[in-house]
Amino acid sequence: MNTARNPWLLSALLLAAPLAQAHIASNGFLSLRIDGSKLSGSLELAIRDGELAVGLDRDGDGKVTWGELQAGQTALQNYVLGHLRLLGGAESCAMELGPVQVNERVDGSYLWLPISAACGGVLKRLSVDYKILNVEDPSHRGLLTLSASGAIQTAVLGGSSELRVFELDHPSPWGAFIEYLRAGIWHILSGIDHLLFLLSLLLPAVLLRRQSRWEAVSIAAPAFANIVKVVTAFTLAHSITLSLAAFDVIRLPGRLTESVIAASIIVAALNNVFPRVTEGRWRIAFAFGLLHGFGFASVLAEMGLPKGARLVSLVAFNLGVETGQLAVVIAVMPLAYLLRSTAFYRRGVMPWGSSAIAGLALVWFLQRALG
Amino acid sequence: MSSGMGRPRVQQGRLFTLGAVVLLCAALQKAHGGPYMPSSDSAVLAELPAGAHYADVSARRLAAGRVDVAIPLAQFYIQQSRLRGDLRYLGYAQAVLAPWVQQKSPMPDVLVLQATLQQSRHEFSASLAMLERALSVSPRNPQALLIQATVLRVLGRYPEAGAACDQFSRIVESRLGALCIQSLRGLNGHLESAYAALLQISPQGWLSSEKSWWYSELGEMAVRLGRDDEAQRWFQQDLSLVPSDFYVRGAYADLLLRQGRAGEALQLLQGQESFEPLLLRIAIAQRQMHDPRLAQSSARLKAAFAAEEQRGEAVHRRELAIFLLEVEGQPTQSLATALKNWAVQREPDDMLVLVSAAKAAGNPAAAQPALDFMRTQGLSDVRVNVLSGAAVASR
Repeated sequence: MNTARNPWLLSALLLAAPLAQAHIASNGFLSLRIDGSKLSGSLELAIRDGELAVGLDRDGDGKVTWGELQAGQTALQNYVLGHLRLLGGAESCAMELGPVQVNERVDGSYLWLPISAACGGVLKRLSVDYKILNVEDPSHRGLLTLSASGAIQTAVLGGSSELRVFELDHPSPWGAFIEYLRAGIWHILSGIDHLLFLLSLLLPAVLLRRQSRWEAVSIAAPAFANIVKVVTAFTLAHSITLSLAAFDVIRLPGRLTESVIAASIIVAALNNVFPRVTEGRWRIAFAFGLLHGFGFASVLAEMGLPKGARLVSLVAFNLGVETGQLAVVIAVMPLAYLLRSTAFYRRGVMPWGSSAIAGLALVWFLQRALG
Repeated sequence: MSSGMGRPRVQQGRLFTLGAVVLLCAALQKAHGGPYMPSSDSAVLAELPAGAHYADVSARRLAAGRVDVAIPLAQFYIQQSRLRGDLRYLGYAQAVLAPWVQQKSPMPDVLVLQATLQQSRHEFSASLAMLERALSVSPRNPQALLIQATVLRVLGRYPEAGAACDQFSRIVESRLGALCIQSLRGLNGHLESAYAALLQISPQGWLSSEKSWWYSELGEMAVRLGRDDEAQRWFQQDLSLVPSDFYVRGAYADLLLRQGRAGEALQLLQGQESFEPLLLRIAIAQRQMHDPRLAQSSARLKAAFAAEEQRGEAVHRRELAIFLLEVEGQPTQSLATALKNWAVQREPDDMLVLVSAAKAAGNPAAAQPALDFMRTQGLSDVRVNVLSGAAVASR
């Protein structure tokens, strides 16, 4: 069973040949995004790899501080410019590196350099020549994420592999529309948190609150009006923030958004257990809907909006979200309406179902907020 | 009337407080998740381990011209890689060896070091080819023979591994030769007698690394014999001698976890989170104990496996299969990974995860090739017997 050992200390100095290695091998993360003729992105290297490349630990105390990283910024930028080449067609792109920042990854701090490059005309293909750390640590690899026109390619760079060439597709606006519509539907159906929030607000739509008790609505019209108001308010609100975030007008940190989304579910669900807002729940839907929009936006940000089809893609994604949402409402609400006068619905689903949702959301909240 | 008004107000108050606390927490929590500029110049971003300084790069340049510098330096890096469980050192060693391996007729020592590197990266056939080259020049090279025995053993090629051990035992001190031979006999049909033979060895005068090898073989044999108390003693002795032996620490943790002693396992693994194979055991223990820190451990492991996957490497396939089975609860995916792993690696632990995953996935027949291998080789392992017996019964 000795994958990990094979110890010997015979005449040689060698101790052992471990197989069960720990620690992630040395990876650099190169992410590039292409918008027509413009190229932007970032390169991330472990601080330790930055030290190996240019020597960051000026005082030689075995620690690299933020001050030392900043002092090494020019050396780092020059090193990267000398070891990373981007070519559109036959010509090198003019590359510029911005000020260094820090990014936390699971295996420690990474230095983060923003990249912008101009490659002449509209790019049909991109070649990447990645030689970072090829002398210092031949096992280093560059993990490339290349996004162009909403399509994402990945590749492993470095090592013995030579110049790598990537063909860039330019999909039709219609193709982008379908792709983003699908992504929107998929996101709402798989992202159970948005649905639970909406359901928490819709569960009481078929009921009336009278003298601290839930009563069934007698006719369909008010229930229908309740549902329409909540769904419309939610849709309107998240469409606003989704659009603002998609066009980079406002950005919220992902963890904050995710935490508050979890919190919104708790609030909405608890409102069914300890009713406070019994009329006009659409206001809750609107207020928190604004935050859910930022959640949708983070998905969209991961996909990227294709140049030339930004608006179409945004509309398609939003339409996808609404379609998925509507499908769930149509599936659930008639059932809720039929069951509305049963004790099962009023004293079972309302308090206990809502409590369960609140409990689940609390777990999410703790996970997201406390990391 | 007043009580009728009072109750809802209390409820409203409760809801309000809760909402306020929740929103406050949300607002206060650090919102990293992206690049940032630390607020203080003296914020420490990373600590550099030995050999990872810029200055060391110039030592490596020196090694490019002098093999008497290159060999000890590569040995140092490989040693560091083992002690710290850090893959980067293998890259440093590779950098040092590269110019010497590319020579027309490299020195045997260089070839053996290169083979060691390749073995560490699970590039088994490349490693064996390199050892063949070394042994064709220097047939009585003990390191080459021992690595050869180890690689062949991992691959489940026991007769060839036995031949390498025989060669090895002719060159080295007889007790070390016996250790190589008996460890192998313990896998192919003679577990009881091999364990007894190892117990006869007196470790007097051995270096701690040699003792550690002895302890770990004894511990693993005891595990396969089902003598968990004895195994625990061997593992403890090894760890008191070589606390940095993360391999034995992992085997010991496995034993504790199998016995449902997750709390003790966590204690044993405290402070070892930076070693992914040990972090895997931590995650399993956390799952058994419903520890909320599981989410964090699991996220780190996922990222590590994903990075490896993206690099197209398969160093930790066994660990990935265990992770999918024990932490993620995805037996079908675990089985697929365990099968891929089994196609390459054939150690008892590789078999164990395959049989467990096959059983959990409701597809015990998938483990049949492994069980056949076990039967034909005479491999004996109580842990596998318990599982496969149950698997057969459930069919």
